Amino acid sequence: MAVSRDPIRLELLKNAFSAIADEMAATVVRTARSFVIKEAMDFSTGLIDARGNLIAQGLCLPVHMGSFPPTIEAVLKRFGNEIRPGDVYATNDPYVGGGTHLPDIYVFKPIFHDGTLLGFAAAIGHQTDIGGRVAGGNACDNTEIFQEGIRLPPVRLMTEGRLNDDVMSILRLNVRLPEKVEGDVMATVAACTRGERAMQALARRYGVDVLLDEMDHLLDYTERMTRAEFGNLPDGSWTFEDFLDDDGFSDDPIRICVKVVKQDSDLIVDFTGSSPQVRGSINLPISMTRSCVYACVRSIMDPNLPTNSGFMRPIRVIAEPGSIVNPTPPAPVAARGLTSMRVTEAIWGALARMLPDKVFACGVQGDFGVTIAGYDSDRKPFVLLEFLFGTWGGRPNKDANDGLASLAVNYSNSPVEVIEGEQPVRIEQYAFRPDSGGAGKYRGGLGLVREYRLTGVDEAVLQVRSDRQKFRPYGLQGGRPGASAANFLSSGTEGEIRLPGKFMRTLRRGESYRAVLAGGGGWGDPLERDPALVLEDVLDGKVSAAAAEREYGVVIDTSTNRVDTAATSRLRQQLRQARAAE
Amino acid sequence: MHQVGVDVGGTFTDLVVAGTDGGIRTMKVLSTPDDYSRAILQGFTRLSDAEALHPQSVKRLVHAFTVATNALLTGEGARVGLLTTRGFRDVLEIGRLRMPQLYNMDWDKPRPLVPRRLRLEVSERMSATGEVVVPLDRDDVVAALDTLLAAGVDSVAVCLLHAYVNPAHEQEIVEIIRARAPHLAVSASHQILPEIREFERTSTTVVNAFVKPVVDRYLAALESGLRRVGTAAPLMIMQSAGGVMKSSMAREMPAYCIESGPAAGAIGAAALGRVLGIANIIAFDMGGTTAKACLIEGGEPRLADEMEVGAGLNNAGQRLLKGGGYVVRTPTIDLAEIGAGGGSLAWIDKGGALRVGPRSAGADPGPVCYGRGGTVPTVTDANVVLGFLNRTHLLDGAMPIDAAAAAAAISRDIAGPLGMSVHEAAFGIHAVANATMTRAVQAVSSEIGRSPADFTMVAFGGSGPVHAATLALHAGIAHIVIPPASGVFSAFGLLFTRIEHRLVRTCWVDTRKADLARLNALAEELAAEAAEMMAAEGLSRDDSDFQLLMDIRYAGQSSELSVVAEAPITAATLQNAVAEFHREHERTYGYCSPGEPTQLVNLRLRARAREGSGAEVLSARIRPVTTAASAAAQGVSRDVYFGPRDGWKTTPVIRRDALTSKPMTGPFIIEEYDTTIVVPPGALVRRDETGSVRIDLSKLL
Repeated sequence: MAVSRDPIRLELLKNAFSAIADEMAATVVRTARSFVIKEAMDFSTGLIDARGNLIAQGLCLPVHMGSFPPTIEAVLKRFGNEIRPGDVYATNDPYVGGGTHLPDIYVFKPIFHDGTLLGFAAAIGHQTDIGGRVAGGNACDNTEIFQEGIRLPPVRLMTEGRLNDDVMSILRLNVRLPEKVEGDVMATVAACTRGERAMQALARRYGVDVLLDEMDHLLDYTERMTRAEFGNLPDGSWTFEDFLDDDGFSDDPIRICVKVVKQDSDLIVDFTGSSPQVRGSINLPISMTRSCVYACVRSIMDPNLPTNSGFMRPIRVIAEPGSIVNPTPPAPVAARGLTSMRVTEAIWGALARMLPDKVFACGVQGDFGVTIAGYDSDRKPFVLLEFLFGTWGGRPNKDANDGLASLAVNYSNSPVEVIEGEQPVRIEQYAFRPDSGGAGKYRGGLGLVREYRLTGVDEAVLQVRSDRQKFRPYGLQGGRPGASAANFLSSGTEGEIRLPGKFMRTLRRGESYRAVLAGGGGWGDPLERDPALVLEDVLDGKVSAAAAEREYGVVIDTSTNRVDTAATSRLRQQLRQARAAE
Repeated sequence: MHQVGVDVGGTFTDLVVAGTDGGIRTMKVLSTPDDYSRAILQGFTRLSDAEALHPQSVKRLVHAFTVATNALLTGEGARVGLLTTRGFRDVLEIGRLRMPQLYNMDWDKPRPLVPRRLRLEVSERMSATGEVVVPLDRDDVVAALDTLLAAGVDSVAVCLLHAYVNPAHEQEIVEIIRARAPHLAVSASHQILPEIREFERTSTTVVNAFVKPVVDRYLAALESGLRRVGTAAPLMIMQSAGGVMKSSMAREMPAYCIESGPAAGAIGAAALGRVLGIANIIAFDMGGTTAKACLIEGGEPRLADEMEVGAGLNNAGQRLLKGGGYVVRTPTIDLAEIGAGGGSLAWIDKGGALRVGPRSAGADPGPVCYGRGGTVPTVTDANVVLGFLNRTHLLDGAMPIDAAAAAAAISRDIAGPLGMSVHEAAFGIHAVANATMTRAVQAVSSEIGRSPADFTMVAFGGSGPVHAATLALHAGIAHIVIPPASGVFSAFGLLFTRIEHRLVRTCWVDTRKADLARLNALAEELAAEAAEMMAAEGLSRDDSDFQLLMDIRYAGQSSELSVVAEAPITAATLQNAVAEFHREHERTYGYCSPGEPTQLVNLRLRARAREGSGAEVLSARIRPVTTAASAAAQGVSRDVYFGPRDGWKTTPVIRRDALTSKPMTGPFIIEEYDTTIVVPPGALVRRDETGSVRIDLSKLL
């Protein structure tokens, strides 16, 4: 492995590469048009070397991390011999392009200096629509990828600086919001141009040879740091499994099985034993499975580690073709986000067995996708689409964060006041769900409740994609699982009815739909929880007095708001004995 | 007659006194964190003893303070109760769900300033258009209030859904509180921030409620202390947005003064720019632990709509990531801050790369060369080894410097392990620190579509002038201004502030279907409210400039851009504002869509004391500073290492007053009491009519 002879230059260039990737990210935010990119930040930027190694990544969705290498590989395979300055390549296809689902369009711009190819500036943008049978490109009830929108194999979007209008016009014709999609794609192109210019400036300053050498050195340096950290982890193998409730077509649970094997400075993550691919569109393409692995492993490492291919080198991912984590065509993949969340949870579960003092219990990510759509009185269409996040699991040294997006998908929520100003609904409640956090020495995060009432139109279509009704978020080290999720519909006539995880039905004026998110798992034995912390939770209404007794064995004197110490130690002893008797 | 600026920081309290003749005196005293007003009064007494001012002759006192920020950072504020619409008491704690650090499992959400037990719901509901859906249940309010009183709260925040469009229920609640518990401090969202988006409005209102009693006590103590020493001048408080308001008003709306201190340097840079005819500036302030950059365009510091207190030193390159602190949505001078300063520690990471910061040696133990127990090499140690800083003493001899210890530490920790010479390692530390600070410059310029090359750098703070030239070269900036009194420049900036109030009202209409009568009624309401506030500051309508602004967006966008509008609002003026919005959109975001429908979301009004009304502190006249002559002897030179290209150079060490208006070619080291200016080889340097040092790097770019 090559070591740079100039560690200062390497540090300066490392900073410069990541500054360029961040600046590309700022360019995307500045110039993109859609909510999903500007606010939800569902995009990524990166610099790639001429052989397809990721050199630096800008602000990104962690679960995009592993998808640049396979997409650039597909581009190089197609255009490797005819790459010219001013070209821009694009692809979105998970099967021939290395992508993860069709709404994510990848663009790559080659960077030349004095006739030498230095590498590529790259960006991913999640498009608001990509065509197909359901608007938004996230439907979970597709049965083949052909229903999911337009598929782009690696194509030339620009040729030597000129927009290839044949490609753009096909794209425009196939999507529901052509201006927005074109604008967002061009925003990612603008970011790549920014990256191209900044890299050329570096080449002028340092010289092409130095720059290329230091790119190699940076990968080696990162690999060295990664291996050094792996070397300090215990050797061995750890397995974990978790389940999705169903795919929306059958009632069969879907198994995610993970085995992490650590030997010296290498790490293998093996998904053998996971369920075969399913009929519904929650299959997870291999490049996203890899991304999940990288994001989870990254979360147990030194936060200063650079994000590039050097980090990925010591990690091997095994996923059988035809399985839920490596589907083969024409399996649908649009709603693969749901499976990616369960896959990260399973990987963290295995990592927690390797590092019990480091990894949190299961949290709740964006299992819920809610769509309320229809036409207003002027026959104008409206669509309310929300992904509902989330809460964390208890941690080995402290409680969960109550109400926080996932580590793997740093998504935001939408203001109630803005929704009510734009859509014919009223949000009746957005609140924590008491007693939903898994009991533990360190409590799991509270789930959230959000209730929508249709007020402005006579009827609308309500479509919900959710999970965790059957399989609850797991606890660790004796911590209890979080409460399961639920869906309720209330109408004046029928009262309240409970609905399955994935469904579509009509919502009438005055009726309300309540999304009840699961709670996070607890960490450690609840009987070891500091009674003072239980008291705080009871005073805050996060845990009921009844649950404090039942789950934690803590008796609270409600007349004084104090812990009844004597009664607590008696109750805890009883509970321990009852447990031992089981 | 004297004007006084007082900037209170964690370590030092800086005072600047300006006489009517434009002459300026400065004073640095140690801060007194147990009661910051004590240091201020000490400084006053010392200045008075030195006959720099007479307390009775002080015409105006402008003050930037940190007590509000400290209360938030330490959690030592009021015990606050929050009243919300039924179903929404958790909005404050849920927040926007986002975290500022990817991959970090150990990260903790900021603790809510009001615990859940003190967040109570009342039955009531407004619609998005302000109609009453559920009337206010007064019994609920009384019951909730009794619960809060029993829990011992001393401050109450009220934030109901859609109160920005119809505040009737909030007003009713405020009346009930005033009647039942007149001793409570009350902050209602429609008064603090009548703007759409419930989390941001709630958070800002709660922050106000949290710091209100603390700020109130502090300013009351300071006011009475000043009266005791004989100063009758009104105490003016710096706001985060750069204007000042009367102390009495700051005690009501402290949320507007959270970033009081850091704003002052930017105001000073803008004011200096006005005198020098420079409208576009990047202000760069580098101290012991952090570096800050701010963009000034057309003479006005750029404002951000909101900030987060306690988010820590976000990597300036990742300012897009939010969620790290307490959200305060009030106009704030937009500063990018990064953890690199003179005290930042240099180290080698596991992969063998040289790193600088973010950990800092701080003031204690400080850099190795201070000889106060520091053992890990810092940026300041590197600057001593390179010869940028004096190798024997700083502060005119008040602080001895141990250059040999600095060199030994760098040799042991950096140069040895990396197999290079000590000066190469030192230059590496200097360069890596610069690379980090470039991020801050980038965050306020290229990331919002501005090229740094179009700006002049105004550099100040203890370490700013040491690094300014190399940083400017890195960013492509050709011209640097080092102002007089650059070590206390923030306090200096306070002298240039004007009374200012900014008001907002959400209207949210399609610009093509706008009800002009309603908009004008809203604008008149804003103007009347502003006139009342200015009158309370002692300013008539004739002494004030009112500027109407409109926050406009394309339908469906989630954020707005502010553009200047004319009052009264007519079809034509509205159209002009929309046209200006398209232009600003093109400039900021790189495109505009003139065909797309636009929405007017908020009306804003900025009321500011008119220039020449006597309300601003200094006229456009700055006299060169006459501080005590620096101890730097004439005719001295030392060896300075300017990097691999220039190598070691025998460099003249001079005083600022050795410079004239005629440019000289560097290298030079210009030593002053509390800073050192580095002029690299080939750069042109001169002194201008304001006493500022001007460095021209065009030949080096």
